[in-house]
This record gives sequence, C-alpha cells and structure tokens, in this order.
Amino acid sequence: MIFHSLDFFAFFIVTLAVYWLLPARAQNVLLLVASYVFYGWVHAWWPVLLFATTFVDYWAARGMAAMPERRKLWLWLSIGSNVGLLGFYKYFGFFVENVAAVGATIGWNTPEIALRVMLPAGISFYTFQSMSYTIDVYRGHAPARTRFIDVAAFVSFFPHLVAGPIMRATNLLPQFERARRFDPAAARDATLVIVFGLFKKLVVADNVGVIANKVFALESPEFFVLWAGVFAFAIQIYADFSAYTDIARGVAKWYGFDLIQNFERPYLATGPADFWRRWNISLSTWFRDYLYIPLGGSRRGKWREACNIMITFLVSGLWHGASWNYVLWGAYHGVLLLIARLFPSPGPRTQVPRPVRVFAMFVLTCFGWLIFRETEIAQLQRHVQLSPWDTTALGRSAGLYLFLLVALYSIPLWIHDVWGELKGPNLSEALDRTEPSVRWPRVATQAALCGVMVAAILTLRSQTALDFIYFAF
Amino acid sequence: MSSASRTQALSLGVVIAAAAVLPLGLRVVNAVIPGAAARSSYLPTVETPRPREPFDETAASALREAQPEFIIIGDSMAGVRIDPRHLSRVSGRSVAGLYQQGSPVAFWYLQLKNMVVGNSLTKVRGAALFFRDDQLTTQVEVNGPVLDRVARDREPELDRVFAAHRLGRFSDVHRAARAVYQFDLTRAWLEPKILRVPAPSADLVNAVNNEIFALDKLRAFEAADLPQAEESFLDFDARVGRSVLPLILDLAEQSNIRLAFVRVQRRPTPTGPPPQSEALTRYLERLQAYVTARGAYYHDDYGDPNQPLDVYADGDHLRSDQRLAYSERFAKQHAAFFQ
Repeated sequence: MIFHSLDFFAFFIVTLAVYWLLPARAQNVLLLVASYVFYGWVHAWWPVLLFATTFVDYWAARGMAAMPERRKLWLWLSIGSNVGLLGFYKYFGFFVENVAAVGATIGWNTPEIALRVMLPAGISFYTFQSMSYTIDVYRGHAPARTRFIDVAAFVSFFPHLVAGPIMRATNLLPQFERARRFDPAAARDATLVIVFGLFKKLVVADNVGVIANKVFALESPEFFVLWAGVFAFAIQIYADFSAYTDIARGVAKWYGFDLIQNFERPYLATGPADFWRRWNISLSTWFRDYLYIPLGGSRRGKWREACNIMITFLVSGLWHGASWNYVLWGAYHGVLLLIARLFPSPGPRTQVPRPVRVFAMFVLTCFGWLIFRETEIAQLQRHVQLSPWDTTALGRSAGLYLFLLVALYSIPLWIHDVWGELKGPNLSEALDRTEPSVRWPRVATQAALCGVMVAAILTLRSQTALDFIYFAF
Repeated sequence: MSSASRTQALSLGVVIAAAAVLPLGLRVVNAVIPGAAARSSYLPTVETPRPREPFDETAASALREAQPEFIIIGDSMAGVRIDPRHLSRVSGRSVAGLYQQGSPVAFWYLQLKNMVVGNSLTKVRGAALFFRDDQLTTQVEVNGPVLDRVARDREPELDRVFAAHRLGRFSDVHRAARAVYQFDLTRAWLEPKILRVPAPSADLVNAVNNEIFALDKLRAFEAADLPQAEESFLDFDARVGRSVLPLILDLAEQSNIRLAFVRVQRRPTPTGPPPQSEALTRYLERLQAYVTARGAYYHDDYGDPNQPLDVYADGDHLRSDQRLAYSERFAKQHAAFFQ
C-alpha cells in the first residue's frame, strides 16, 4: 500500500479510529495486524518474509538472554539469517551474473541460471532494523523482550516499514511498551507534516522526476540536458525520500509514536562529513554504529581508519542496490570523505564563505547522483566524457529551460530548508517540538499552509505517478 | 475533557477543515480567469479539460447514406485484410469498413456506439472487430485527442471504464472531488503557464518535447523486461472487468447486433506461425470462452496455412494483393455470420 493512495487513506482512518478505542496492549496487536495487511496489500507473500525475520530475531534475542555463554552463536544466527535473506532476494541475480561474466573472460561457460527473484519492498530496511535489535541485545544495550507481539509490532510498524527511517530497538521498542495517549496538538502538527510530505512527493518529486526519467532515457543526451537531468534527479530523490519520512513521522505521530528525523537540510551541507550528518541519518548512523565502529572506526591509526571508511561506504553503496554503479557511488563518497579529512578546514579567517562551500558540496553531491542514477556503466563513462563545448544551440537552450523548470518546482523545498537553517524549526522539525498550549496565530498559519498545499496537490500533482524511489532499495 | 484539551482538539479541527475548505478557492479562481470554466471533457474523471476536435459528422452521414448491413471495425490490421466492396460482392451483403490506422479499442467502441448504433443505421446486423493478441483488454486508456472524432459530448460509460482502470475502486471519490474542487479546470490553464515561465518562447517547449525527447533519441527498450510484463498483462480474468470489451458486448447485445472478433495472425516465421507464449495461449482461450458465452463469434487466424510469411509485407501487414483473397476466404469461412 502506498501513502498517496485512497486505499491508504481509508486504511489509516479505520485503523486509527479503532486504535484509540483499544487498551494499550490491544493497540499493539492492532498495529501488528494492520502492518501485515499494509505490507501484504499487493503481494500477499511478502509478510511471510517479514514474519520469518521477526521470528528468528525474537528467538535469537531470547536465546542470548537464556544462554549468555552462547550469545555470540545466537548473534551470528540472527545476522546470518538477515544477511542471507537480503542476499538472496537482493543480490542473487547480481552474484550469478558477475560469476558468469568473470567465468566467460577465462573461457568457462557457466550454466545459465534463470532465476527471477522479485525484491520485496522494504526488505533492506526491516532486516537492518530487526538486526539492530539482536545486536543491541548482544551488546547489552537493550534487554531481550519476552512479548513477541511487541517485537513483531516494532519490526513491522507500517508507517516506516518500507522506506524508513530505520529505528533502533532502544528508541522505538519502549514506545510500544508504554501506554500512549492521543495528543490533538501533536496530531495537528503531524497533519501539516503529512500534507507537506504529500506535497513534496506529488508536486515536487514526481514533476521533476518525469524530467529526470526522460533525460536518463536518452541514448546520447547533450552536456547541458544531461546535467539538467542530474539536477532534476537530485531534487527528486531528496523530495521523494524526505517526503516518505515526513509522512511516516506524521502518521506515526497520530498513533502516538515518535520517529526520528531522517534528513536535516542535506543540500545545505558544507562538506562531505556534514552531508552524511544530514542525509538518510538513520542509515548513516546504523552503518556507523554497526559496521564502522566494530571495524575499529578511527581508533587504529589513519590507514585503518581510511580502510574502515571505504568499507563502510562500499557496503552502504551496495545496500542501495545490486549494481556496480551503487558500489561506485559509495566509493565516490568514501573518497570525498577521505579527501575532506586530508585537508581539514582552515581557520575562520581563511575559510571559504559558507554559500560557496554549500554550492561546491551540492555540485559534488550532484556528481554522485549521476553515478547513482545511471545504472549502465558504459553510459556513465560516456556521460562523464561529455563536453560543455560540444553542444548545439537547442541543447543549450533545452538544458537551461529544464534546469530552470526544476528550480521552479523545487522553490518550496529550498525555502523550507533555508528557513530551517536560518530561522529555526521548519515544518518537519516542528513535529518534535509540539507546543503544549495553543497559539492561534500559529494555528492559523498551519491551517492556511495546509489548505494551500492541498490545493497545490490537487492542481499541480504530476500526471505521471512515480513510486517512491527508496521502495526499490 | 479539560478546557485545554478542548482548545487543542479545536485547533486540530481548524487545520483539518482548512485542508478541506481552502481548496474550494480554486472554483473562485476558475470563475475569475477568462475562459477557464468554459472547457470540458467527455472523460471528466480521467482527463484534464481541453479544447477538442469536433465529432466527424461527415463520416457519420456517409454511413447513413450507405446503410450497410455489416461493419468491419479495426486499425490497419483490418484495413489491409478486408476490402469492403469485394466482401459485399462475395458475401451478398453490403459491408462498410470503419478503419483508423493505429486506433485503440476505445476508438472501436465509440465507432460502434456513435457511428453505428447511435447513427440511425437501420439495416445493420453485424460487426466484425479485427484485433491483435491481447489488444482487447490490455489496451485500455488513451491520451490526448485520439478519440475526439468519434466521441460525443458525454461518454459516461467509457469514462467509468477509464476511471476504474486508472483509479481503481475509488474512482467515484475522484469524480466527486473533481466536481467539487474543479481542480482540473485550474490545472488546464495553470500548468501550461508554469511550463512556460522558464521558456523564452512556446517554440522552445515544443522543441524540447518533439526534438530533444523524440522517440528515436531514446535508448533501446530492454527486452529482458518483456516476459515479466507479459505475464501480468495476460491475466484475462483480472483485466477484462476494467477493459472496454464488456462495453462493446453490452452495446451489441442491446442493439441486437451480431459481433465477430477476429484475431489476426502476426508476422509468421519462415517455418511456421509466430511464436506464442503459454500465457498468451491461456489468455486467448479465456477470451474466446468469454465472448462466445456472450453470443459473439470468435475466429483466430493463427496457424492459417493460407498466411505464410511470403504473403506478408511489413510487420503484421499482409501484402496489398492479398486483400481480395483474404476477403473471399473471410466470406466463405464466416458464411453463418453473414446470414
């Protein structure tokens, strides 16, 4: 089920109405059932995998608690089953394809294995979330839960099931274990964030996404057209992914749950490290805590730190998809981070002005998006060899036109982020700071914004509905 | 409930109400913008109102004059196979051909509805529709003015089918929302303006669409995706309810018109008929069972020994010198249909 559908709207209203009539424990049961219905709406077999993940990790955690001397074994059972599931559904075809390609280069004709495996949406997100539970139990950061319903509801919680944010057991599980009460003020703020998320998805992301899709469908785009397409994709992926997070956070809030912010104005970052503190925060911190630090982090010398950074970014790239361009994208960001560490920021007097650093980082980020979006490596090579001087007048005008059109659609996004950067909480951030008392001017502003955004969605939503990009990961 | 809680609940209500009420302002804006409210569409649930081509009265009146007994409907697949005059001679019945190159199934439905049933053709006894493979159910929606020349000012049945196909079970909600907020009328004048803002001239917008993104500039279609797509498209039972086919059958039944569905053979290989997947074979069996259960004739040219590769010109088109021979065979094979 997708958020921007009437199916979901009806589902949300009905479950919400029943939810607040139930006692706390029964609420968790309802959320669990609702989450499985939500996930199995299109493909009824997907919840089977979700249940399998939950079942294994629940018993792995219980095993650690019951047999502390064998907790490492239980941990590896959990990691093995999660990574195995992910590996089969996400990387099997990629692995077979590459083994065959390597075999062919040395004259081995490997038998053709024709196995089409459909990637279940959200599997990368919920396996990571579920794994974080067993790792936290192993580390002693969280106790093993005895109530299966709570753990299952935590793993499957539908608002963020398919595209995050990836929540930690230490944060979200306690929320399932305590009584929740309906807070109209929080629901009011959440409504605005949901509408803003829908606006970002349907008006910004989908409209510029059509441009990006058209450009990346071209056999030989000219330089300016290509980069207008890259700019369109940069806006699309941010608007699309942050929209999902906003809607997820807003919906969760209506049920009395707090999900973390996943984006903090990433295109206003001043450098690679700053970018990764702002982009897909839940995934970045997951890799930091469960991969980079266990590898040794920065504690074992510069050379080892550089290796750890590169490993983390390569795995992060591969997490996004079974294709070499994602690995390359991870490597690109790893190298950017290493270069930034080699040349630390000079003193405040000699520092490059902040807008220049923001612009430079945005350009570097866009180059990364070119690698990310172009799944054919041969095409990617052609793209990076394009010259701005080898263009036609129509190609230049078209590139400028498409660039300005994307800029036009993205104006609300920039205003929202610059406001948050300079003036304090924007719409998304305000969700974490609900005011206990009603201030009517604020309510009037929220009401006006809500009405205008709904009107904009009705009027300007793209005629071509695109899936959320991160559903594919 | 405490006073503070009541105030909070009220503030929530204000925001939700604003989300529902403020977009009604679009109606006011439409009323102010000259000409915005004048546009309409015969497919109001799925299409942005736009200026349309007029109904083809000339063709309708030519048919009224001819008063044919049988009609052949289809795209170029029918056009290259059936010569209406020759078919009239050999069948002994007056036959008219309603051919439109590249026309979709919805076009054929509107031809049957507006050019035949709704056109005072008092002698019509039957109509034969020529189609390829899964075309009758998979080719549903049509964009742009393709249907204008055969559509009347209101086509509610077709609108419902398109809406169900695109919008699913909530198509009535979409229809109501469009009627209440009139957002489509706003889109019709606002969207072109937005697209024009960054362009120095309309010519540039056209050039971007027609030259930069021309079809021949696109990457080759990834053939690897085809089998999977085919499987999902070829579930006849899942598709038929949201297709135009039931409308065609209903219309013929109500008008006492005999229908024949003729599946043409696509381009064969040098050694035999074209390859056909198991999914397509299953689909065609279900299609045949469905239309014959509703009293229609069904014929499949697949594997016809009279249609080897050398009678084909380009693609699925027969050579022009095959038209008379095909028409003759058609009259003989379907003598019962022409009774």
